[in-house]
Amino acid sequence: MAIDRRTFFKRTAGITAAAAALNFIDMKAWAQTVEDGPVEVKPSMCNMCTSECGMQIHVKNGRAWKVTGHPDHGISRGKLCPRAHAGLHWIYDPGRVKTPLKRVGEWEFEAISWEQATDEIADKLKAILDEHGQEAVFGAQYPRTTGTLYLNRFMHSLGVATTMTHEASCQSARQLGMTHTFGAAYDADWRHAKYLLFVGRNMGEGIKTGSANCFAAAVANGAKIVCLDPRLNQSAAITEWVPIRPGTDLAFLLAVSNILVTENLFDRDFIRNHTNGFVNFRREITQYTPEWAAGITGIPEDKIREIAYDLADNAPHCAVDTGWKAAVGSNFANGTDTARAVAYINALLGNLGQLGGLYAPLGAIVAEPNFPSPAVPTGVRNDGVGTEFPVAPPTGLPHVTMQRAKEGKVKAGFVRHFNPVRSFPDYEHMRAGMRALDLLVVFETHMSETAIEADYILPEPSFAEREEIIKTDGATVCMRTKVVDKVHPETKSFDEIITLLAQKMGVGQYFEFSLDDWNEALLAEQPFSLADLKRMGSTQGLTYDEPVVPGGCGNLLPGDKPAPPTMHPRVFLASNDRNPVPPLGTPSGLFEFFSQRFAQAGFNGIAEWREPETGLSLGANEFRVIHGKQGYHSHVCTANIPMLAQITKDYDTNRIWMNAERASALGVSDNDTVRLRAKNGRTAEVRIMVTERIHPDMLFAPAGYGNRSPYLEVSQALGGFNPHDLCDFRTEPISGHAMMSELIVAVESV
Amino acid sequence: MTELNRRDFLKVSAVTGAATVFAAGCAGAPDVAAESIAEERPRERMALLMDNSLCVNCQACRLACQNENMLPVERKYIRFDYIDKGRFPNTTHHVNRHSCQHCGNAPCIDVCPVDALYKGQEGFTHVDFEACIGCQLCGTVCPFDVPVYNEDPRSGAWKMYKCSACEHLVSQGGTPACASTCMTEAVQYGTWEEMLAKAESRVAQLRDKHPQAEVYGSTQQDGLGLLLVLRTPAADYPHLV
Ligand code: SF4
Ligand code: SF4
Ligand code: SF4
Repeated sequence: MAIDRRTFFKRTAGITAAAAALNFIDMKAWAQTVEDGPVEVKPSMCNMCTSECGMQIHVKNGRAWKVTGHPDHGISRGKLCPRAHAGLHWIYDPGRVKTPLKRVGEWEFEAISWEQATDEIADKLKAILDEHGQEAVFGAQYPRTTGTLYLNRFMHSLGVATTMTHEASCQSARQLGMTHTFGAAYDADWRHAKYLLFVGRNMGEGIKTGSANCFAAAVANGAKIVCLDPRLNQSAAITEWVPIRPGTDLAFLLAVSNILVTENLFDRDFIRNHTNGFVNFRREITQYTPEWAAGITGIPEDKIREIAYDLADNAPHCAVDTGWKAAVGSNFANGTDTARAVAYINALLGNLGQLGGLYAPLGAIVAEPNFPSPAVPTGVRNDGVGTEFPVAPPTGLPHVTMQRAKEGKVKAGFVRHFNPVRSFPDYEHMRAGMRALDLLVVFETHMSETAIEADYILPEPSFAEREEIIKTDGATVCMRTKVVDKVHPETKSFDEIITLLAQKMGVGQYFEFSLDDWNEALLAEQPFSLADLKRMGSTQGLTYDEPVVPGGCGNLLPGDKPAPPTMHPRVFLASNDRNPVPPLGTPSGLFEFFSQRFAQAGFNGIAEWREPETGLSLGANEFRVIHGKQGYHSHVCTANIPMLAQITKDYDTNRIWMNAERASALGVSDNDTVRLRAKNGRTAEVRIMVTERIHPDMLFAPAGYGNRSPYLEVSQALGGFNPHDLCDFRTEPISGHAMMSELIVAVESV
Repeated sequence: MTELNRRDFLKVSAVTGAATVFAAGCAGAPDVAAESIAEERPRERMALLMDNSLCVNCQACRLACQNENMLPVERKYIRFDYIDKGRFPNTTHHVNRHSCQHCGNAPCIDVCPVDALYKGQEGFTHVDFEACIGCQLCGTVCPFDVPVYNEDPRSGAWKMYKCSACEHLVSQGGTPACASTCMTEAVQYGTWEEMLAKAESRVAQLRDKHPQAEVYGSTQQDGLGLLLVLRTPAADYPHLV
């Protein structure tokens, strides 16, 4: 780099720090918080990502003032990530939805009463169900216990089969790949590992507080940790960075398996006793030599060997972390097989249930509430799961449903606490799908990109003003309690809204219980009462003797049925040095190198190399666009929070990263604005950060910027780019996910 | 050299009206007991340890601090410096917390004409925000370019902003907000001796891979109340001397 960085920083640090503040500070609210007054400490759960860390909200003068981690919560363990602190803004945000709203024009709404809203919604929904049937309706949400219980129950009571979450834009390929190898997506026992390989996962910036804490503990313990990533992210910065060509992690992983297999560096006992399909796998894997992988990934053959040998040396107290989104998630056409390839290496290491290997915690006992339940509908889903996508996970494919809506086949949608219009590619596709519906009802606290397309927006109280269904996470039992009074008296909690709608739809019989009734029933086998739990917020409960099978995003209580406690014998205890291996959750009960289920569905039974759908060759001015997290933003919902937007502004971190050598070849300097042109002709102007921290093939787009809703004023003022604006609507063939990094752009000067 | 400058300390007493004599930096009991509220607390010198080799730049410390101290959105006591070394693919990236180092011998205290800066019993440099007249003298002598001057949105008066080590917490035996929240435990809080020992053993471990790793703050300004673990030499960082 031309500029001496040291002088550069000396001169600019002052400038960025002094840059004008974002002009959306609620001074009155702030002044009120600053006032002295008695402080009450009340338990709650963070609402800024799916992890829902247990926390304490310190309330002063009746206002939420600050948060601290709940020491008895298994994830937060007394710590909190940045978003939790800034999340208090959501309570007092002047931009909240305050009353039911009805669409009166493009992105325009009028306030209406609950009576009118629920009457009109019920009338329209009845008409749609009569005319188009249950297949024309869907429910979608960012999954939380209350939403999972109430929205799915409501859909089921109407006979609607299509219930979906965000996971096709997240980790559905990981879930699928892991489920069809290990039987479940197990986490690594990071804290005790001697060696860890992270494949695109960035524990320090894609944050789950407790996981980051374990990761850092491993770093502090001196464990050897390698981060495979095309970008020197903040986790790689404190460990060892091995840069890889984007989209080629699968080739690397297959080559590591090749070395372990061909050099006899695998756990023979585990392979013999607990796996199937190994012989075929061994035959297939010989083609993926380290020389071959070096050519594809850009990682020197010696480095690939070194990593394979280090894994073998530290087995079984080491792991290839099972990832989350990134390489094993919804980014590339090869996501599902990349997840399977991660699983293969762990199987070869024989690390399941071993200290520092893969494991699952014991889960708190949850009783089954005994209230009348609707049958789970067996009808056809409108998102292709089970038909066009025969093995795709039931978390669903919202982007496919939007295609069906555009084709006139889907007519009504209910979306809670979820913003698929902004969080899936492509924005225009998702928006057009939502607009094509005859009825879109969005349950939201804010005017998100999805909310502004709705026919009705039904407002909930913020996370600090409402109670919810109990959640468990490992042994932790926790719940959200009401910490402050409703800021907007017209808001209603989700359980109230759905119960109201269900009554109007004539299915009220499935909702003849209160939140307290349900919660009390869940706790029937625990030694503490609901009142106790409301006082404690988080506690460690009695656990099953066996570990819980890891679910999707966090260990949610399934709406209607707790996880079967007898599925796995006691084995995965990280406190034991070596544990016996249990029957696994696969059809064969064994680890599956070869998946019969995949083969029957017409897919490859054993993971095999495939390129990203957009290929690997790039023109002189072409780049692949990869997005990823910064620790202080979540998904697409936090750039509107002034405290977090201010960090972005202070450090100018919503620029697009470009490799220094490529930049100089293209004549692009730091801070230049350039135009990105996608193959579909769409363009966007972005500001560039020139850096040595990134692979030459890619541009890095920090995620969470580029809100389009005009109601999100802070975010609008902050600006930024969201690659989903350029990316096409696509589906990965196996899991059906949205292939969010299958985007190649040409860089042009403006 | 870990003892607080006695003159500084007496200045503290003048401001707070609390203790009269203070012995710091020794693990045992203090020589002379201080009066009033401080009586039952250990009167050892305390320190924040910033192990930059564990920091993932999540900014939780900054935000927890902002909430704790009720700072307006655009003011912050904790900032970071970032440096990259080497060229792709051999790049390394390093962070360093830039905030008040809580100098054992703090020149800012000496120059403040209204005694708005003072030492607490734990050895940190606290700020009497009301007393500050925003004259900016402390900024001219601070070796680390810490004090920032800005308008107090409530009064409209010009004030100095810097980390005050959560005086209201540490003086009650509590932990500063940044250390409480840090999920990687890059920020820790304990006695000065204990934090120095931790820093030294971490640096010894780091030297395998980072031969230039160092503890910063054991001697500078008679010992810093914010100790740093650095993987590369202090000279690399714009605010260290
Ligand atoms: S990881 Fe952070 S945002 Fe997510 S729940 Fe925990 S504190 Fe909140
Ligand atoms: S909270 Fe900890 S990890 Fe996060 S920025 Fe601060 S020191 Fe670094
Ligand atoms: S770092 Fe600067 S502001 Fe802090 S104690 Fe030292 S001289 Fe004072």
